[in-house]
Amino acid sequence: MVLFEDVSKVYEDGTRAVDHLNLEIAKGEIAVLIGPSGCGKTTTLKMVNRLENCTEGTIKVEGKDITKVNPVKLRRNIGYVIQETALMPHLSVAENIATVPKLLGWKKSKIQKRVDELLELAGLDPAKYRYRLPDQLSGGQKQRIGVLRALAADPDVVLMDEPFGALDPIAREKLQNELLQLQKTVKKTIIFVTHDMDEALRIADKIVLMRRGRIEQVGSPEELQQNPANDFVRDFIGEDRLSQIFPDTSVEVVVQDPRIKVSPKMTAADVLDIMEDEGHETAQIVDSYGKWHGMALLWLLKRAAKQNEKVTKGAKKDRRLYIEDGTLRDAAEMLADQDLPIPVIDENGLFRGVVTHAGVARLTISRLTRYRGKEGK
Amino acid sequence: MLNQEPFLQLFLKYITRYWPRILELTWQHLFISLIALSITLVICIPLGIYLTKNEKLSPYVIGAANIFQTIPSLALLGFLIFIFGIGNDNAIAALFLYAMLPVLQNTYTGIKSVPRHLVQAARGMGMTEYQILVKVQLPIAMPIILAGIRVATVWIIGTATLASAIGGGGLGRLIFSGLASIRNEVVLAGALPATILALTADQGIKWLQNYLDPKNRAIRLAQKAEIDELQKTAAQRGRE
Repeated sequence: MVLFEDVSKVYEDGTRAVDHLNLEIAKGEIAVLIGPSGCGKTTTLKMVNRLENCTEGTIKVEGKDITKVNPVKLRRNIGYVIQETALMPHLSVAENIATVPKLLGWKKSKIQKRVDELLELAGLDPAKYRYRLPDQLSGGQKQRIGVLRALAADPDVVLMDEPFGALDPIAREKLQNELLQLQKTVKKTIIFVTHDMDEALRIADKIVLMRRGRIEQVGSPEELQQNPANDFVRDFIGEDRLSQIFPDTSVEVVVQDPRIKVSPKMTAADVLDIMEDEGHETAQIVDSYGKWHGMALLWLLKRAAKQNEKVTKGAKKDRRLYIEDGTLRDAAEMLADQDLPIPVIDENGLFRGVVTHAGVARLTISRLTRYRGKEGK
Repeated sequence: MLNQEPFLQLFLKYITRYWPRILELTWQHLFISLIALSITLVICIPLGIYLTKNEKLSPYVIGAANIFQTIPSLALLGFLIFIFGIGNDNAIAALFLYAMLPVLQNTYTGIKSVPRHLVQAARGMGMTEYQILVKVQLPIAMPIILAGIRVATVWIIGTATLASAIGGGGLGRLIFSGLASIRNEVVLAGALPATILALTADQGIKWLQNYLDPKNRAIRLAQKAEIDELQKTAAQRGRE
């Protein structure tokens, strides 16, 4: 848990980088600090591990006033990830991850075990990656190792200063999802700084929107989107979200639930009935584990029904996009080709939803109306 | 030349006759050079590190080292007679002043070139200032510092030949007496070992630079990974 009590950072020239900040970040929560540049988000983060000292108020980590702890000791108990993949270039992946455990004087065998455990947690084969140097890794891999390094000594609190800011959109999204997966296992209190509203909305339990050293609004992503406290919040969410939509943006932004979802155990004839009732040409076949078994098509299904087959005989599996790498451009091309929904699955074959003509159109329309609204101002 | 014998023959004759003397002077030469180099390293590397923490001083100190470096070495030796008198002490002091600049400058530049975010990350992970220096800054700056040491070493070994001009020892003795008596074979008997010393030292440090090169470290690590893998499969087979 991290607690800010009336915290200010005043520089010698009188500028208030952070101004009477009150904030509570619960245990196991991802709190995202966001705002325009110069809003004090990074300063706020750095005050937690005393890379910056607050000039007024108190900050408590796990109930302890941080000014009462030796800064070196404090930092060894707080994970820290920064944007510029600050892996030590002269150290191997394993040595980099082992940095803090080594500082804490762990035994060699314990360190080695921990390093392998973390690499496996991130889906990296220890035998393959342990001895790599940072220069032999991709940007995404480097930042993954950066995150693992912060988790190495199992700190309660992890600070992340725009950790994925330097990555391309696809790698960034992949790492965000991995972070969420990882968080399910490690359950750390994470303070995350970003200027990317999409990132904040995707990963935050709590968004802290700041401006000029003050908090404008604190709340869950839904709260901020549905009840923005003022025009600044509304503009900040809107503008940023729209600026993030490009042809290379992931299809995730337009994925929606399908009209008809059926079990693979059903017969073609039963599904045909449902579809004709609903007046819909397609149905998604998903089993009880969430695995996708294809998209049933009306004309294929009619043939399968005549032969008393299961629904899967009347389905196609080749039309699909992966949520990990499918972009809006891919979706648009497929929709232009054939006006049927596109099923979206993940790399484990789990069903995530569909992309439809209507969904893409809605996104485009909302974008156009927002822009017109802005010009009108 | 009064002597009609071929030069090579004269040279071989000289070294077969005087090789214990040449060896002794080579040893002296090496000794003077090593002492001067050690003093240079012991003073200039810490000084260079100190300057990175007190930047205001750096232009003055590096400027001073620069001045010493531009004074012709022979003139510097003569000048130092007033302070150190005649002999090896004077020579060593002069060699130190002369070789300061590359070591000082490269230590300073090397440490300054370590990206700030690496230092910040190290501090953020809970390293003390001393740990940041020893575990992050020095290893990353090492190739640049070594390049400076390499230049200084070659300079020192070369310039140490001048030590005999002010009553010091070393291979300069042969060179100067050969010059004075117009006997080229004696000059060569002094110059050749000096050159070999300088080249050997140069290659030695070059090898060290190579060894520390990240590319080569990557290759060594890959070999280590392979060995690990082999041992693992061997152990597995043993169990079966």
